[in-house]
Amino acid sequence: MSRAPLLPVRFQVGDAVEVLDLGKAGHVRTPHYVRHKRGEILQFCGYFLNPEALSVGDVSGPPVPLYRVRFRMKDLWPEEVRSEQDVLCIEIYDHWLTPATHPLPEDTP
Amino acid sequence: MRGYHDIGGKAAGPIEKIELPWQHWEKQVEAIRNLLGDATRRVLSLDELRLGFESFGEDKYLRYSFYRRRLEAMIDTLEKKGLITRDEVMQALEQVRANWQDLEACAAPTAER
Repeated sequence: MSRAPLLPVRFQVGDAVEVLDLGKAGHVRTPHYVRHKRGEILQFCGYFLNPEALSVGDVSGPPVPLYRVRFRMKDLWPEEVRSEQDVLCIEIYDHWLTPATHPLPEDTP
Repeated sequence: MRGYHDIGGKAAGPIEKIELPWQHWEKQVEAIRNLLGDATRRVLSLDELRLGFESFGEDKYLRYSFYRRRLEAMIDTLEKKGLITRDEVMQALEQVRANWQDLEACAAPTAER
């Protein structure tokens, strides 16, 4: 049996990304609170089968790149008082991410 | 679209911290799940189990404990795959219960026989 080809690793460490809201029903592993939020690629974690497909017994692939993404807490919950240093890091699959159209405010020269 | 299980970041108020003992049946649920999902069997993956309790309804989700959710989702999913029926599980449970009651009667000499 031939393996499905690997998907490209679209993001590099340090890239600014935005989390999509794919509106998918079923089992997804991108929590609601990060959708439409902007973060930064911290690490490429490797390739994993998509849990959305695995949850319905589909193991045919292809494996999807998984990234660890860093968000500033104040971006996630702007209504709360947060330290500038507080960050949240979670793993997000490639198809939930898009390049951020412009850099995060603090990165603007 | 926000699933009823997707509660991260929702306001929860103060959270009471309670140490819960890990019950024997809970360990059994986890053991069975691990065996069903291992590399040789691949009968039930963790993601299938998660989809099970994320889609069996908010009522059940809120009513059941962590391991009860997993147990119920396991039964649902195995039934959907045509491997067992819930009736079979319930019948087996009745049998175990009956045996257990007999044992209790044996262990108590003063009990009416």
